[in-house]
Amino acid sequence: MGPLFNAGEPWGLVTALVIGIAFGYILESAGFSSSRKLAGIFYGYDFVVLQVFFTAAITAALGLVFFDYFGWLDLSAIWVNRFYVGSTIVGGAIMGLGFIIGGFCPGTSACAAAIGKIDAMLFLGGFIIGVIIFDAFYPLYEGFYKADNLGPVKIYESLGMDREVFLLIFVVFAIFAFWATAVIQKKVSEKSNKY
Amino acid sequence: MSDTRIIKKRYIFMTVVFVGLALLLVILPKKHASNELKPEQLLQEINDNTRYLSTDEVADKIIKADRYFRLIDVRTPNDYKEFHLKGAINIPLDSLLNKDESGNYINADILNQDLYINVLYSNGTVYANQAWIILRRLNYKNNYVMKGGLNRWIETVIRPVRPPQTASRKEFDIYKFRKAASMYFGGGTVAVPAAEDNAPVPVIKKKASGNEEEGGC
Amino acid sequence: MEEVKIQNPPKKYMNPYLAGVLLGIVIILSFYFTREGLGASGAFKRGVAKVEQIIIPSHVESEKSAFYHYVKNGKDPLDNRLVYMIIGVFIGGFLSGAINNRLKLKLEHSPKITSKKRAIAAVIGGALFGIGSAFGRGCTSGAGLDGMAVLATSGFVVVAMIFGAGYIFAWFFRKLWI
Repeated sequence: MGPLFNAGEPWGLVTALVIGIAFGYILESAGFSSSRKLAGIFYGYDFVVLQVFFTAAITAALGLVFFDYFGWLDLSAIWVNRFYVGSTIVGGAIMGLGFIIGGFCPGTSACAAAIGKIDAMLFLGGFIIGVIIFDAFYPLYEGFYKADNLGPVKIYESLGMDREVFLLIFVVFAIFAFWATAVIQKKVSEKSNKY
Repeated sequence: MSDTRIIKKRYIFMTVVFVGLALLLVILPKKHASNELKPEQLLQEINDNTRYLSTDEVADKIIKADRYFRLIDVRTPNDYKEFHLKGAINIPLDSLLNKDESGNYINADILNQDLYINVLYSNGTVYANQAWIILRRLNYKNNYVMKGGLNRWIETVIRPVRPPQTASRKEFDIYKFRKAASMYFGGGTVAVPAAEDNAPVPVIKKKASGNEEEGGC
Repeated sequence: MEEVKIQNPPKKYMNPYLAGVLLGIVIILSFYFTREGLGASGAFKRGVAKVEQIIIPSHVESEKSAFYHYVKNGKDPLDNRLVYMIIGVFIGGFLSGAINNRLKLKLEHSPKITSKKRAIAAVIGGALFGIGSAFGRGCTSGAGLDGMAVLATSGFVVVAMIFGAGYIFAWFFRKLWI
């Protein structure tokens, strides 16, 4: 029964490398190495981010629950990010702003830099500057950063739902989003073709 | 034209597969997995101190007569008879896992529920902590521990010590609260319970692991 | 031979849904093998911690640093699976670029803005992302994608905030893109 290795073990490191290669390959193949393609989601001309992102999320979520069901993977043993209410919300908002200005996120900028995108390399440079800034002034907001830890809560617990029922709603919602964005994308591209 | 039709067909297929799998999970009977908590998770919960309520918080709840707040005395029935906090239910530690004829835990109704907040206490913290660990191992929720137990209860709520003049305003506020609580609970008249487990609670070292604090990204 | 190869036009991108399913499978495998999911930002934080450990050890080895737990007890911050994963991401991205004829040194920007403007925006956006992913305890992949995969509340909140904030600010920065 999985997980097979702890992340720190040598084999865990090797698998991390292999998984990283697959991750980078898929991101680049899907077009995540282009900032203009990525930013498209915010202006309605290209929803590839949403399509890839949510397809991956529902695939993984369904798969993990099935793995649990068949007893292949112990879901209580895998890492679940802690929910620090304020820090998570503020962090997400700052990332959203960074996304719309910079046009990348760290993973996509790494694979874009790998194929020679200079803007991605600059983004990564900026990312490192941001990390240094965060570290330099850390004592100022350490309290906020560590406040309101709700632990590794699951969304269906937060909503008071059954796990399976939530998953079904999530899948249906994602597919609705795919359909809606396809319609929007068509309209936006028709509109821009007129000019 | 036929190209787009093939693509369309693919998307319908994808939709059917995803929704079908999700529906299947809803319909499939729930696996009755063992409810017991994993040792790793138990260790993690032992390490984070969210289970503790201070004596002040407990006093506040009692004074406010919080309906969904329940005290559980895990000491022996004799100790309980001698002195216990108002409204406390006595479930001695050694009878925590007693079963009835059909093999169910007799205390499950009280300890495994999600309406009340149960606060376990003993004379110190050790026995209440032991009871809490057993309850968590059974994956019972909503159980807490009064930190410091009755000994600290006496020190802080029943006979609060006036802070020095130089103390901060906050400390005086706490003192004022305690003084009022002391009046409420009839301060000074109770017999001090014998120190049974007053020894300092051993501090369990946090798992030294950067992973735990940092997570996925 | 060589010249012909260079002139090959870049191939089309993969179908996004296919890419999504493959990415989902990679996430499942990651959890199955290593207990944890994908991640990108952690490696850069660890890189910064490593440099700080060499240059200003007094800072990073105190409670004043956000990366204290990376170096505590003489640990090497780079001895972590996320570092290997980001190396993998670079390799994987390069492989895909090579196979699909997309290897090219260029600064991509909207025709309406100058390269310089795009460069500045990229650095600022990167810096904001650096700060944001520190607060959010992970970036779009580590906090968002992994979080949604394991149905963590934090994952859904982060994703909602990233895209929510993105849409709110999109109007102000539309000149950068369209």
